[in-house]
Amino acid sequence: MLDESVLSQILARALRRGGELADVFCERRTSLAYRLQDGQIHDGSIGVALGVGIRVVTGESAGYAYSDDLSLEALLEAADAASLIARTSSESTSRETLPSSAGPPQSSLYDGANRGHVAQAQYVALLERADTAARKSDSRVVAVNAHLTDELQEVWIATSDGRFVYDRRPMITLGVQVVASDGKERGSGYAGDGGRTSIAYFDAHSPEELASDAARIASVNVEAQPAPAGEMEMIVGSGGGGVLLHEAVGHGLESDFNRRGTSLYSGRVGERVASELVTIYDDGDMAEERGSLNVDDEGVPGQHKILVENGILRGYMQDVLNARLMGTASTGSGRRQSFRFAPQPRMCNTYMPNGQSAVDDIIKSTKRGIYAKSFSGGQVEISKGDFVFMVGEGYLVEDGKITAPLKNATIVGNGPDAMTKVVAVGNDSRLARRHYTCGKGGQYVPVGVGMPTVKISSITVGGTAHG
Amino acid sequence: MDEAQAVELAIRTVELAREAGADEVEATVSVSRRFHVEARDVTISKLEQSTGKTLGARIFAGGRKASLATSDLSGEGMREALSRAVEQAQFVAVDRFAGLPERFADDAPDLALFDASIVQRAGEGRVDEALELERLIRRNDSRIVNSSGSHYHDVASITAIANSAGFAGAYTSTRVTRSTGPVAHDGDVKRTAHYGTAARHVAELESLDSVARTAAERVTALFGARKPPTGAYTVIFEREVASSVLEDVFAAVSAANVAVGNSWLVDRIGEAVGSERVTIVDDGRMRGKLGSSPFDGEGVATRRTVVFDRGTLRSFLYDTYYARKLGAASTGNSTGNGIGTNNFYLERGTESLAQLIAGTQRGVLVLDTIGFATEHASGTYSRGARGLFIENGEIAYPVDEFTIAGTYGQILAGIDAVADDQRFDSPVASPSFRVAEMTISGN
Repeated sequence: MLDESVLSQILARALRRGGELADVFCERRTSLAYRLQDGQIHDGSIGVALGVGIRVVTGESAGYAYSDDLSLEALLEAADAASLIARTSSESTSRETLPSSAGPPQSSLYDGANRGHVAQAQYVALLERADTAARKSDSRVVAVNAHLTDELQEVWIATSDGRFVYDRRPMITLGVQVVASDGKERGSGYAGDGGRTSIAYFDAHSPEELASDAARIASVNVEAQPAPAGEMEMIVGSGGGGVLLHEAVGHGLESDFNRRGTSLYSGRVGERVASELVTIYDDGDMAEERGSLNVDDEGVPGQHKILVENGILRGYMQDVLNARLMGTASTGSGRRQSFRFAPQPRMCNTYMPNGQSAVDDIIKSTKRGIYAKSFSGGQVEISKGDFVFMVGEGYLVEDGKITAPLKNATIVGNGPDAMTKVVAVGNDSRLARRHYTCGKGGQYVPVGVGMPTVKISSITVGGTAHG
Repeated sequence: MDEAQAVELAIRTVELAREAGADEVEATVSVSRRFHVEARDVTISKLEQSTGKTLGARIFAGGRKASLATSDLSGEGMREALSRAVEQAQFVAVDRFAGLPERFADDAPDLALFDASIVQRAGEGRVDEALELERLIRRNDSRIVNSSGSHYHDVASITAIANSAGFAGAYTSTRVTRSTGPVAHDGDVKRTAHYGTAARHVAELESLDSVARTAAERVTALFGARKPPTGAYTVIFEREVASSVLEDVFAAVSAANVAVGNSWLVDRIGEAVGSERVTIVDDGRMRGKLGSSPFDGEGVATRRTVVFDRGTLRSFLYDTYYARKLGAASTGNSTGNGIGTNNFYLERGTESLAQLIAGTQRGVLVLDTIGFATEHASGTYSRGARGLFIENGEIAYPVDEFTIAGTYGQILAGIDAVADDQRFDSPVASPSFRVAEMTISGN
């Protein structure tokens, strides 16, 4: 997007007041989206984001500025603004040389980046198929909303310590929301899918499948009874249950919180933080997944990281700034929403591998509990580790049997406490087929989550039915 | 770019879109100059400043709608994006409700949205505010030994809209924020809290002292917190938590949700949904407030709309499209690509928060909630919460790791007291209020 002499000039200007490291993040992102409502394509939209973000790092401080004006004058002005963080007159110790070119990565995790031309009618057809399927699958369906987004993000990242990389990241998303009603009670259901791939993905993962799943959850929620209130056992469903790992453990292992000592996991590498049945990975290099990255937003390759192994904390997710201060290397976890934001350490695809238990046995062993098949969202407070999850599809389990669907249950607990109460891990691990987006410090990035069916011996369910 | 140049760019966009084949066009240019500093202890940990420009356009061609958002404002970039949007519109269904509004704002009220002193402020003064907050939170309580950062933020924005019906208008506004996140050690447990203040004018911000004191109190108030016993109790929603409940109420009165059935308030206009204490208003014309503007995202004049009048649901909030679809008139709530609030507030009562507590036999004062609404069709409310347990009108002990649950209908109908502590720190603003009974799930 910018030629090498311009990048060199920007890096030199950024470091002229001092600083240990500077980087330039150039981005061009184009997207198109369609929305279906009331059985018709309701609107279409296109998005273009084009700009450059410049950062200067000095010690634990970072200066940041961006420009959507690509003139040399505007870019140097942004470099000046970023350089204000370093007010010392000390000479920069970094070299500002760049390799001669930033070609596409040798092999890509996402083939969809090289797709050919897609006719607009193909996008529209997917939404119409989803609408038809949702309405056909249950007579109680009263509304269907569906959306599709196809995006291509290109990034060029140049750093003052000599990295210069390019990545070309596709992302396609299809989501279906269904409202069902029996005349009295209303319920809604949502299903979504996609990844760093192309429209061809939906040849094998049909919109009909997605739509009937959303309609099924909506109908279940029409019949659902109020969730119970109080402490009980919890079974977390495979796939989408991985939100539990993301919130209860993942955020607490991001290196900024740990370097600053504000996470409950600060300084605890090597210690037991969970039941020995618990192993958690964060993986940036899985093919075509939402959280996958050939290189992260600081130019570091995406990696497979062991966060927790048999209950022992093994390491944090590092970006460049925090890794330097903690005396270690980046784990390819530096991510940003766009050129308008400085990078932060973030998760990619966070999941738990298979355990030993059969799912049937887990259900049979449950006396009274909640079976959370999927979560519609969650949130954590990283200092103490308190979390909350909203259950998207949940059931009551009594005497080893699934008995009734539950309405909008919320689960509340504490990360380390819940992780020590993991008493069974199923053998059905998978990544969720849903498009999760993670928010942190006002920045939203796509992530993946996954896990097998897991049983937690006690958790607080926040319903309204109490004795 | 100044206001006049932004308007010129919007008008030029309208012309380019017409050339590309659009029948009707609306273009919005936003220019924002942002400054942000984060301090931790005695260090400036982040210093960010940038000016960003974005162009948004809605185009209508043959009764079909498409929109675009771009930061590529080169002539070539704009032409290409506009012709792609026109091409895309061909795949959208003809919609007789789509199109520009019929009437636009024709007045220019002075709403005091701009504080010139923010733009003129030197960098040092702003940096010092963040450092001072770090000093003050530690001075407030010796148990506060760390923080997730103290922040000073300001932004000065130009919003310019022009359309093919001949409307052109612009306004300039400012927003300034102070916030802090102290961390304290409570035995083996780390506790954190966040508190902040925001306004269009520096003079209207809560003082640094007050922000630091409130943040510090919020951390230390929860020391030794335990789970409350599960049961039905009176619940007092403190101001900020009350405002988050009000945000969910807004989602249910947004015509965009009502039209697709994603609201528990569908078909309930004229019904007594809330208690007599519940009067909720959307008002875009309040002087100097964060939710104020002379016109909305479509150029329609903002106004005052009573949404709930002493408990009775009077009106949903509309943009032009959903107003046509549901047979109503726009209430000036368009964001350009959806429906948003102006100043959306619950009218305050006359009692203090302390009086609400004193009048509570057995209940919980909720200081903080986590979680969010993901659907509004059923109107179910459930959140993780932290706060203070009340017995016989007095604070008894701190509580955490519990949930509050019910429905929004039960909350609005159950409000038996509204406090006088309203602050317009965000466009959605509620005073503290008390709900007679909700379910608390603890142990």
